[in-house]
Amino acid sequence: MQSSFDRRRVNGPEESHAPVYDDEEPESSSMGAQRNGRSAKDVRPIFLKTGLISQANGSAYVETEKTKIACAVYGPRQSKSTTYSERGRLNVEVKFAPFSCKQRRAPLRDAEDRALAVLIHQALAPAVRLELFPKSTVDVFVLIIENDGIEGCVASGSVAASTALADAGIDMLGLVVSCAACVSPKDEIWLDPTTDEAISAKGCITLATVPALNLITNIWQTGQMSLDEMDQCMDLCQEQCLSTHSVVAQTLLDANKSPS
Amino acid sequence: MASSDLLLPGQPMALPRGPLPKVSEGLYERNGQIRASVVGTPQRDGPTFKIEKQRPHPPAPNSVVLGSVTRLSPSQAILSITVVDGIPLPHGEEFTGVIRSQDVRATEKDKIKLADCFRGGDVVKGIVISLGDARSYYVTTARNDLGVIFATSESGATMQPVSWQEMRCPKTGKLEKRKCAKPEGL
Repeated sequence: MQSSFDRRRVNGPEESHAPVYDDEEPESSSMGAQRNGRSAKDVRPIFLKTGLISQANGSAYVETEKTKIACAVYGPRQSKSTTYSERGRLNVEVKFAPFSCKQRRAPLRDAEDRALAVLIHQALAPAVRLELFPKSTVDVFVLIIENDGIEGCVASGSVAASTALADAGIDMLGLVVSCAACVSPKDEIWLDPTTDEAISAKGCITLATVPALNLITNIWQTGQMSLDEMDQCMDLCQEQCLSTHSVVAQTLLDANKSPS
Repeated sequence: MASSDLLLPGQPMALPRGPLPKVSEGLYERNGQIRASVVGTPQRDGPTFKIEKQRPHPPAPNSVVLGSVTRLSPSQAILSITVVDGIPLPHGEEFTGVIRSQDVRATEKDKIKLADCFRGGDVVKGIVISLGDARSYYVTTARNDLGVIFATSESGATMQPVSWQEMRCPKTGKLEKRKCAKPEGL
């Protein structure tokens, strides 16, 4: 009782749960068989824009239907660490808005924030030229406003963070683009799974690449997949990353073409 | 035309005929190919190509910096660096610089009293000489054109430099000691 009391917030009830509706069950069972008006190789339409957060050095907003992510980059700025380092440091912080999922997420106690932050950091770190700003840090803040699939959040978050870094003028070897895929119960490979598709899938994989250098920076796989399925998923993700890369490129060109 | 010259990070640059040119800031070489590492248009500077930085960046050795003095001690002055190479840093993202007593001027290094050279709140122009330690950059003012460029007197008026080590308050006529920067155009 005493330990869970938070003195920095308005405290509501000790426990609360989202309402459970009677007719929720049959919809999820029918969802497992098919996709919602999308073919296996389709990804959700991508909206990507830079420069929406004026205080940040660089920012990006990405939206793929029901996944909405805002990203801000601050830096290079002075590191608070007391140890000297020849290389700069890249910090990634991921936060879910409390209203971003069906179940409310408490603002502080979420273990998934850190896991996603590590994944996005691993996707970005090989592409950023950290040796060019010693003793400094670059802080990337990713806010997930609406969540429709954790794999989609990791993929879109990586794309948003990479675009924001380029918008901030951070030196990079190339733009990082990410894509997710899953194996459906009927052994079909679906790109860009939503929450329901990921739940019913046998396994999911998320791939982050630098298409300009043909470099893979991160692979994240969950569930049960055979090696052949993994290979096929990665090939499809890599093809899709090339398409997404052109979306990112167009966004950055538009941002730099128009007089700001 | 201008938009087609724009390069994105990772995009290879169209190479001129002849040997591979040198690369400078904003570009890098990989597998015999020169690629951009920031968004921008490459510029030629003799045999070197570069993409110029228009955004705030950390100080580097030989950067010209402006900062205000935040703390004074008998052996060093602490600066809050707000402008690097003519580009202001965003608010709240200043870097810390240190002017050690031996870096204040090029002559009579042993006789320097820092209270006669700087005061809290003075705006100082200096050059970064080293990355320093974990927290601060080492800055020098040991040149005629470096030193205090803006100072406020005890009565609150902006002072004018009258010699290399004195400034005068226009309100009271009082002289105060500073390590003055030689004004530009003199």
